[in-house]
Amino acid sequence: MANRLPWWVGGILMSGLLLLTFSIYGADRPIGASTYVPYAAALIFDLDPEKYSYIEHIKDAGSWEGVMLLGVLFGGFITSVFITKSFRISLIPSAWKTYKNKSVLSRLLWSFFAGFIMIIGARLAGGCTSGHFMSGMSQMAISSMIFGTVVMISLLVTGKYFYNTKGDK
Amino acid sequence: MADILFVVDEQNATVTDRVFKMVENVIHMDHGSVALVFLIGVIFGGIIQYTRVDKFEKIAGFAMLKDTIIPKMLFLTVGLTSIGLYFMIQAGWAHYHVKPIILQGLLIGGTLFGISMAILGKCPGTGPVSIAEGRIDVLVGAIGGLFGGLVFTLYYDDFFKPLMGESMGESILTDFFKGNEDLTVLIFGVVVTLIAIAIPKLELYDEADLSKLPEDQRPDRKQ
Repeated sequence: MANRLPWWVGGILMSGLLLLTFSIYGADRPIGASTYVPYAAALIFDLDPEKYSYIEHIKDAGSWEGVMLLGVLFGGFITSVFITKSFRISLIPSAWKTYKNKSVLSRLLWSFFAGFIMIIGARLAGGCTSGHFMSGMSQMAISSMIFGTVVMISLLVTGKYFYNTKGDK
Repeated sequence: MADILFVVDEQNATVTDRVFKMVENVIHMDHGSVALVFLIGVIFGGIIQYTRVDKFEKIAGFAMLKDTIIPKMLFLTVGLTSIGLYFMIQAGWAHYHVKPIILQGLLIGGTLFGISMAILGKCPGTGPVSIAEGRIDVLVGAIGGLFGGLVFTLYYDDFFKPLMGESMGESILTDFFKGNEDLTVLIFGVVVTLIAIAIPKLELYDEADLSKLPEDQRPDRKQ
């Protein structure tokens, strides 16, 4: 079995999954993947919904995505172990070693920092790659097109200046 | 009351109780059964893992313009879905769920999101897949994310909500082309799909990928 699907097969399958999720015979809602994070934070740190209005605000989307997340973890694990055989414990991606540095500590600190601002950013914008880019742009939402454009610019500028890509073929 | 499955004692609720509560919320919502929502997650995770678009080399690689699998797959998904979804909505099989234009939130949030996506090399949808396949650095990123979610929740009313600004409505592209909705959707869908095909295919391989390729197809042996 091929150890990876080509991008166009992935795009067609993902499109089918989005349509199933949108359909009234499916979930009658878009796919999203960032609301579960503050929901999980409230769940783990036992925040009082009466004190913090945001918890009440995201209750429905957060629990829906929370259940979906459990499926994502399961699906990702099963696929990595049995189909792509890519499961392995690792601390630092190989391209980080090539284009940034070989320090595990540096990678972990940057990961923590990036994870922190990623969720703040996604919640400020009201969505992420799944909710805004895929689900939102498929509905031709103006908000999602603004988000997509800003993210693309910010991503490419960061990629250019954060990594050391000069002098490489 | 027959429809309450789990009685949660709010005062002494443990994390497990609150996870049950989460599942119960989904049972009471009209957005698919728990099994279906879980299955949507399994397929989502499976597609991402099987196409390997959760790899650092794919997302950070795109930020460095050394890999274009992510934009090709994203644009193709959007192009195909936009046309399919429009037909489904016309037929009454689906509804629009459009996010509001909250300009400052989108600009500040999008900027932070792009920076963090380039550094972490993941997003909130692909991150869990990487964790499921054993990437500890992404797990650390997720813990950072949990604290981000905590800070956002704690300071939402006082700081983040005012920072986001007011909603300017929930418009979609066809609102600007009244009377020509069908054509607008068709052009949008076809153009976005063509962009996906037109983006030159670049791939950044790591050693694990290269070792699985046949010897004569390895880009690093061609020099």
